[in-house]
Formats: sequence, C-alpha cells, structure tokens
Amino acid sequence: MFGYIRPLKPELKVKDFERFKACYCGLCHSLGKEYGFSARFILNFDFTFMAMLLWGAEAPVCYTAKRCPMSPFKKKCVCCHSDSLSVSAGYSLILTWWKLRDTVNDDTFFKALLARLGMLFLRRAYKKAVKRYPEFDETVRDRLKALSVFEKENCPSIDMVSDCFAELLAAAAKGAEGSMERIYREVFYHMGRWIYIIDAVNDVEEDIKHKSYNPVLTRYGVSDKLSDEQAEELKITLAHSLNFIISAYGLLPKNPWSDIIENIIYLGMPYVSDAVFSGTFRNVRDGLPR
Amino acid sequence: MNDPYKVLGVSPNASQEEVKKAYRELARKYHPDNYHNNPLADLAQEKMKEINEAYDTIMKGGASSNSGYGSYNQSSSGQNSYGGSGEFAAVRAAINAGNLAYAEQLLNSSGNRNAEWNFLMGSLYYRKGWLDEARSYYQRAVNMDPYNNEYRQAMNYMTNYGQAYRPTGYRQAQGVDACDICTALMCANMCCNCR
Repeated sequence: MFGYIRPLKPELKVKDFERFKACYCGLCHSLGKEYGFSARFILNFDFTFMAMLLWGAEAPVCYTAKRCPMSPFKKKCVCCHSDSLSVSAGYSLILTWWKLRDTVNDDTFFKALLARLGMLFLRRAYKKAVKRYPEFDETVRDRLKALSVFEKENCPSIDMVSDCFAELLAAAAKGAEGSMERIYREVFYHMGRWIYIIDAVNDVEEDIKHKSYNPVLTRYGVSDKLSDEQAEELKITLAHSLNFIISAYGLLPKNPWSDIIENIIYLGMPYVSDAVFSGTFRNVRDGLPR
Repeated sequence: MNDPYKVLGVSPNASQEEVKKAYRELARKYHPDNYHNNPLADLAQEKMKEINEAYDTIMKGGASSNSGYGSYNQSSSGQNSYGGSGEFAAVRAAINAGNLAYAEQLLNSSGNRNAEWNFLMGSLYYRKGWLDEARSYYQRAVNMDPYNNEYRQAMNYMTNYGQAYRPTGYRQAQGVDACDICTALMCANMCCNCR
C-alpha cells in the first residue's frame, strides 16, 4: 500500500529486527511461490504487518536460509511459509490490482501507461488470487469505486472518504474465529482510517501543486496550506484512531510477533505521524533520519 | 474455568507479590476507561471478569470477588450510562445496544435539532469510528448548551483523543509515578547503609 506501517528500528531488539526482516522476506517468497515472479514487486511493509497480526497465537514460526534475486549469492534468513503469509500475499495482490486499475482510469497519460504495464504483468497472479479470495476482491472493488466517486465529488468529510478504505481493510478480518473477527475488524478499520488520512496529509503539498483533490484540504476548505490549528486537529483524530487500534489489539491473545507488533503500534506509527506532519517523512528511513 | 495462572500470565509458583503485580497491570489494561463507548467494551468487560476471578482463585482459593479492582465488574460497563430523557431515550438505548442503523433512523426522522440531538449524533458517529464527524457534533452540542456536563465530558474526551493502555516502557512521558519514588527510596536506603 504505502509503507506507513513500520517498526521504529532504533527501539527494536536486534533479534526482533532480524525476525521482522525474515518475515518481510517470507512474504516476498510466498508471493513468488504462489503467484509467480512478477508478484514479488508488490511487496511492502503494511502487508508484513498484516501477516504478523493475523498469525495464530499457537502457530509456530520457523526459519530457513534461502537465496533470492535481491541476494543471489548470500543466503538470507527467511520465515517459512505459513497461512497468514499466504493470506496477506493474496490480499496485497488484490488490493494492488484495483489500485492500478484506479490509476489507469483517473491519472495522467504517462502514469496510466505504467499502471497498464503493471496490470499486464500481474494479470495471471491476480486471477489466481481472486479465485481464492472472491469476497475480499468484491469488497475491494466496491469500496475503491465508492472512494473514487467521493473523490470526484470533492467530498468534504474525511470520515466518509476514509471509511471506504477503512471498510476495505476491515474485510481482511473475515473468517477469524468467534469474537476475534470483531477485534480484527476494529484494528483493521482504524488502521485503514489512519493510513488514508496520513497519506492525505503527506500528499498535501503535491495536491496543491497539481490542484487535485485532497480530503484534508477539502475538509477545511483551504487551498494553500493547513494552519497549525487544523494540523493539530488532524493529529488528534489520528491519535484517537491509534488508541482504538491499541485498545482492540489488547484483546487479542499474544502471538509470536507481539513484540514487533507492539513496537509498530506504540512507537512506529506515532513516529511516522510526527514525521509526516513535520514534512520529514520522505527523508526518514527505518526511524533514522537519512 | 481457565487455568488462573495462565490467565494472569504468571508461573504457578509465583509469589503473592508477583501475582498482585501481574493482576494490577492487566486490570489497568482492561480498565473500562480504555473502552469508553467502544464497540468492543463487552469483550474488555469479559476479560476483566476473567482476571478478577483468576486473581481471587489464586489469592483466596476461590473466595468471592474481593479484589481491589473487583468493583469494575458491575459499576461501570465502559458504556455511557445514558440517562433516558424523553424523546431520545430510544436513541440512547439503540446506541448502547450497538444498533446503530436504528439509532440513525430515529435521529434522522426527529424534527428536534437541539443540543441533545447533536450530542447523540456525535455518539453515533463515535461508535462508527467516524471521529472527526463525532467531534463536530459534540462541539455543536456544547455550543448550544455550554453548561451540560455530559456534552462537555464527551468533548473533553475527544480533545484528549480517548485513552488506551500502554505497557511500561511504552508509556508517553509523564510525571513521577509511585514506582519511581520507591526506587528512589530504595537507592537512598542503600546509600545510608553503606559506610
């Protein structure tokens, strides 16, 4: 998606950092194994987080050493294939596919051309993913369509627009056992809301330059710059969503990735939020300024 | 019933102090304040009950609930205990029960757009997770009726962006807490002892 959901590296234990990298590589290998080489290019942090969160409390984690195109000579420690890696791989493919479709429909000629090319490469992989997760595919298509209508209409409510993306992510909770589905739904809903709004804030400057729709600017009816007070209000609403995520997460049983997940929600997300608002997000990597 | 030691996350040969500490931390985690008007408040309440029972079982071999936090069981459920006032009583009941579609229908069909209506619209949006809209409606309710405590509290809650548990080490910078004082005293004591 966007790469906003990441751990704060300086606060991670070395073993957890290695495990996070192994999980990231594991997702990449799952994408490759299940959907072919081209699917590996859509790998990102957000879906690594999803894989860790959906990991069963009792499901073991095992590691192996593997080579890959990025590291053809030295074997890397990789997290073995698992159910939640497989599910996250499928979901990320479906979401990427429909985001590309959006770009083809809405964006400038050059960007649309690139997106078309991407879709060409991902076509077979996408077809395979839809067969496995038809319901998720339906929700994504439906919600992104609603989202693009809101965007065209210049919708002034950030909740209404972000609800589309939030509902889309919340669909990833489907199929969890008993009350777990409700908990996951809540975590993913506010995760989606948080990602959508933080992405909008991050795009403010660019959208002003290109005079394109930005929900945050439209919310306050401004066309040049957010005032400090408006930025403060947005920070508060984001922190509030994060508190919902944390409260819901607290009701889930611990799983093998809890330490890393906690780093992400307690430290990583606040850090990213601060970086986006201070305009330094582009220069930030792994929580260390470049 | 689940193994009480497992529920509290301590080993079966943990000391009373360790059990107490684990219990306090969990009670803080599932405290109703962290799940105020939250769609998952019922689950947090169940957890609270579970840890209360586990604590009582370990400490007193299953005596009736007398734990320090036992009172959370009934008194506050984490929901707004809305007092029913005339016209909107049904709306409040629907929001409490989580029947948001019905609450929305009732509110939309009401001709009365007073402070309470705005407050309840805010509560409805809050439950849906539409926090920015919720804030706007709460603000309107406060503007229309500045002396109403319920509306002011709701607005305050929004300004402080709610509340959630963070374990030690992840808490945001805050004032000195009791542990710090104890540690300081212990250190001081050690200094006094060595000559």
